[in-house]
Amino acid sequence: MSFVKLLKTPILLLLFSVVLHSCVKGVDLDQTEEIALTPDLQVSLLVFDVTNVDFKDQESGAFTPIIRDTVRLEFLDDSYIQDDLVTVEFSFKYTNSFPQPFRNKISFLSENDRVQRSVSFDIAEGNKDNPAITDWIEFIENERIDVIKKSIKMVVEIEVLPNQNPFDGELKFESKGLFSFEF
Amino acid sequence: MRFYLSCLTIILGIFLCQGQNKQLLYNVRGLPQSLLNNPGANVNFDGHIGVPLFSKFHISAGSSGVNLFDIFDESKPDVNRKVSSAIRRLTRNDYFTLHQQLEVLSFGWRLKNGQYLSAGVYQEMDMFAYFPKDPALLVNEGNNAYLNEPFDFSDVSFTGEIMTVYHLGINKKINNKLTIGARGKLYSGIFNVASTNNSGKFITRDDPNTPNFYRHFAENIDVRVNTSGYASLNNTGRTVQESTRDLLKRSFFGGNVGVGADIGATYNLEDNFRITASILDIGIMYQQHDVENYLYYGDYETDGIEPLFPDVAPTDNTIPYWDLFEDEVDRNLKDETLNENYTTWRPVKFNAAIEFGFEEMFEICDYRRTYKRRNYNLIGVHLFGVKRPRTMNYALTAYYDRKFSNTFRAKISYTVDDFSYYNVGLLVSKKIKKFNFYLAADNLAGYLNLAKSQSASIQFGMQFIFKK
Repeated sequence: MSFVKLLKTPILLLLFSVVLHSCVKGVDLDQTEEIALTPDLQVSLLVFDVTNVDFKDQESGAFTPIIRDTVRLEFLDDSYIQDDLVTVEFSFKYTNSFPQPFRNKISFLSENDRVQRSVSFDIAEGNKDNPAITDWIEFIENERIDVIKKSIKMVVEIEVLPNQNPFDGELKFESKGLFSFEF
Repeated sequence: MRFYLSCLTIILGIFLCQGQNKQLLYNVRGLPQSLLNNPGANVNFDGHIGVPLFSKFHISAGSSGVNLFDIFDESKPDVNRKVSSAIRRLTRNDYFTLHQQLEVLSFGWRLKNGQYLSAGVYQEMDMFAYFPKDPALLVNEGNNAYLNEPFDFSDVSFTGEIMTVYHLGINKKINNKLTIGARGKLYSGIFNVASTNNSGKFITRDDPNTPNFYRHFAENIDVRVNTSGYASLNNTGRTVQESTRDLLKRSFFGGNVGVGADIGATYNLEDNFRITASILDIGIMYQQHDVENYLYYGDYETDGIEPLFPDVAPTDNTIPYWDLFEDEVDRNLKDETLNENYTTWRPVKFNAAIEFGFEEMFEICDYRRTYKRRNYNLIGVHLFGVKRPRTMNYALTAYYDRKFSNTFRAKISYTVDDFSYYNVGLLVSKKIKKFNFYLAADNLAGYLNLAKSQSASIQFGMQFIFKK
């Protein structure tokens, strides 16, 4: 019997043993339970630009120092917010060219109009050539996140703080939310 | 839980093997299944009949960029970091593939004029998906770290099909140098899904010239997922028996149908030096039954919701900003489900090989048979390609095929492809009288630890082979 014929059995054994004894080593499949998707999503929220015209009563035309508006944020009721939202960081920015300061209040309300979270800060006065920028960051995490999960409305209220200067200018508002999830 | 994880391991283990390449069976002229890889193969038998359901089973799959170990390495406990790292490392051209064939019937016989007819039925599954890089990044990390960078939905590209194939092939020796063959195929579709040629981008820009911190863009979104044979199975009101009956019906042309062809040839440059080539599955499927198409398309951009102050309309009703916003989104980004027929092309494959034989065999002298010069040893180089939605995928194989005796042969191959540079495969074929059994496995080193393997496949079969 030649040498190559002697190889028949080892070759057969090799193939069968390799296939039959295949295995998975060095891995911990229990780690599957720890797999989580953790996206951080930047989302634009409300944006507006008001002038002195917006501080006039629509019917009488009389000056009104406080204006407010309410926007429903229906996505706050979605399951991915309710189940998987971990933290949220709201950023608000006012650019004010009015020579008056403003008092600002941003509230998050539940369906029953209960205030879940409220943020108040003053907006610095500016001028047309050099608008004042006021930034505010509100970070809500972990145990306090429920206040966002219970919210469905966002209310912005602006109160002008009059002074002796003429009431003329522009107030721009920018807002965003950085929503961090763990799915 | 451990049971499910074990199943997952096995499935992933299978996934981490190679695609449609059947390099170990190609040019093995003693096996009837080589005719399925090259209908123009120079076969040396006069008849065959496969053991029903066992004449050929093949399963192979592949992951071009990641394996189980990359994700579940026990020495690195932070699995999410490993997942994120893998997602970042993979490219949009990395892919996953799963291919399976089960021969139900197989038979063939040599006609009096010397031509060889072969026919049969096999079931085939072929799944292929490019890694959806950008959507995966968006889902895993969000847009925060990718401001001003587009998430491209053209990264989404996948196909999948399950079908039964009925085939009839003819193999004709033109002269001592040339053998040609062709095979006609009828496809009976069981399931199909196809989503290719998608487009569209999602971008979040922090352009200072826009009124808000960010402006979100959904540009030229055009995503379409075609399915056939899915909608009825998705109907939860059906019993398992009804679904099974339906699947069997589809296997016998009760669903979608298609036609295709294989062609191939062998040309002997010398008695011991030949080239072979084949093109397989030049075929088309007409998807007309149980069709459902899911479409997402449109353009939209937004800076956010803009309240108007005051918060009541002239009618004294609160302005429904959110509803208006949703309506605007729905008007611009459409989501539709249609029932439009569509056609799909089968993933066409080609094989080409050059082969050299040495150490000539001496056969028993028999005046009734034409003497055919054969060699104990064959070495060759084999190039395989398969058409995928974006490009051809190739594999290059060098092999050594040794015939130890008239009843035993072995073939060892070394393959370079998208999955591995270290793929060594082995085929053994053993004949006991008329009964023949073969077993072939790819990427043998990978079997030692499937977790680290990105490439392996296994195929086996048994049949009766007759020679005059």
